[in-house]
Amino acid sequence: MSMRDRLRTMGLGAFGLLLVIVSWEVIGRNQLLGRTFPALSDVLATIVDPARRGLFQRALEATIGSALRGFVFGSIIGFAMAALGVIFPPLRAGLDRLAAVMHAVPLIALGPFLIVTLSREGTPTAIATLAVVFNVFVATSAGLRVGNPLHHDVLTVLGAGSWERFRRLELPGALPFIADGLKLAAPAAVIGAILGEWFGAPRGIGIVIVSSLQNYQIDLLWSAALLGAMLSLVAFGAFSVLERWVVGRFR
Amino acid sequence: MLSPGAELSSESDKSADGSTDPSIEHDDISISTSPVLPHVDASEIGPANLSLSGVTKRFPLGRNDTVLALDDISLDIAPGEFVALLGPSGCGKSTVLRLLCGLEEPTGGDVRIRGCHPSELVADHRLGVAFQDHALLPWATVADNVALPFKVAGQPVDNDRVRSLLELVGIAEFAKARPKQLSGGMRQRVSIARALALRPEVLLLDEPFGALDAVTRRRMNLELQDIWSTDQITTVLVTHSVEEAVFLADRVVVMTGRPGRIQTIRTPGFERPRSPELLRSPEFHELVDELTIALDEEPA
Repeated sequence: MSMRDRLRTMGLGAFGLLLVIVSWEVIGRNQLLGRTFPALSDVLATIVDPARRGLFQRALEATIGSALRGFVFGSIIGFAMAALGVIFPPLRAGLDRLAAVMHAVPLIALGPFLIVTLSREGTPTAIATLAVVFNVFVATSAGLRVGNPLHHDVLTVLGAGSWERFRRLELPGALPFIADGLKLAAPAAVIGAILGEWFGAPRGIGIVIVSSLQNYQIDLLWSAALLGAMLSLVAFGAFSVLERWVVGRFR
Repeated sequence: MLSPGAELSSESDKSADGSTDPSIEHDDISISTSPVLPHVDASEIGPANLSLSGVTKRFPLGRNDTVLALDDISLDIAPGEFVALLGPSGCGKSTVLRLLCGLEEPTGGDVRIRGCHPSELVADHRLGVAFQDHALLPWATVADNVALPFKVAGQPVDNDRVRSLLELVGIAEFAKARPKQLSGGMRQRVSIARALALRPEVLLLDEPFGALDAVTRRRMNLELQDIWSTDQITTVLVTHSVEEAVFLADRVVVMTGRPGRIQTIRTPGFERPRSPELLRSPEFHELVDELTIALDEEPA
């Protein structure tokens, strides 16, 4: 992309963002969508309100912690499942099916079950983990299988066994796909953590959302939702940068 | 025309008495550790002999259907010999190569390298191969690609060897470059350098210069001849270029397709090292014309 194209893309992006901010403010200020749609400035004022700082800080810490743990556990499990399917091909079909079944079960249906079997504290991490596993498993599996058959032949003729082939060829070849999977998994971890908190975690963004909804604290509800969304976007942005680097390096 | 079998036996006689054996003139400059003896001990490092006896290969085609890709191929290749497999696309010459490197198993007959299954040579990392598509790892530098066989074999990377190979194929200054930064010809050179890294006993080349322009190709042919005569590796080159086959090979095996059979075998007895002047000599053109006609002859 040329400098000029890049500037134009950035310009269009900034324009779009401005459009959203202005419409939000106008709609909220004039209550065009009712009293439950506050102006952006009111939501931001709630977020920076010193009286709320402690609440948001504790909630963010809890959610970030759960999302981070879920992201790490889920990435490791998803990667290990995919790698297992490549190093031991007979396991591949079964692992594919297991991942598909796991994905078919709605995470929200697992919530009450996890509360009972795990703990209230552990549920956000568990749901974040499950949300991440599928993304990472699918991306890693696709990446590990995409290899050039000729590369495969060269490694075979050089006398490589399946482990050597995995680490010299399949794994580096899969890294751009894995980075893409992590990019999608990062916001999934945040959403999974917030979802897990709904079922009665001690604290977190999800809890602030549920309690403010029940207490009709509209500005607080929107603030928590906005913070959750920002967290998700920051995670996505950070991993987009990582992905761009990995694609440039390994493809 | 002699039948393939008769041509074959006369060929092996010739190489046995040494009249056309190129190893005679290379022995003085050879750096390989063992001389080419009639009975080579399998544990000794040195060029290996290859043999295909009565090899047939069928590929599945649909549910209950198969296609005969190779029909009764018999060929003995002496240690240190350079053999070119020449034929039109789809004649099964690449399949012969894949059988020799153990990537395919014959449906019938036997493929042997030094009397063993090719997989034994592969397991010992004694086989070098280069394909038409360079098949270099895009994330590794040129030097790392050439060092790959060392890593796969679990051996410490011999950096001097890597450097001298890159010098040999004329791309030492690009050691730190990535494959995508190189031209097609340079990538092919890296690919050949990689095939040579562990001083293989057998070098198998599947149309390594197929995608190159005529000028680059001729230059690469000269380089390949130098490499082969220095290390004296038993080499099988699959090509559809008659000139390339005649210029490089001790024996040219002409194949016909559907099913793949050996049509004829010729011995370009030109003196080595062969120079670019040979390409302009009448004897060279005579043999090229003869083989071109042989290639065009469709079996009834």
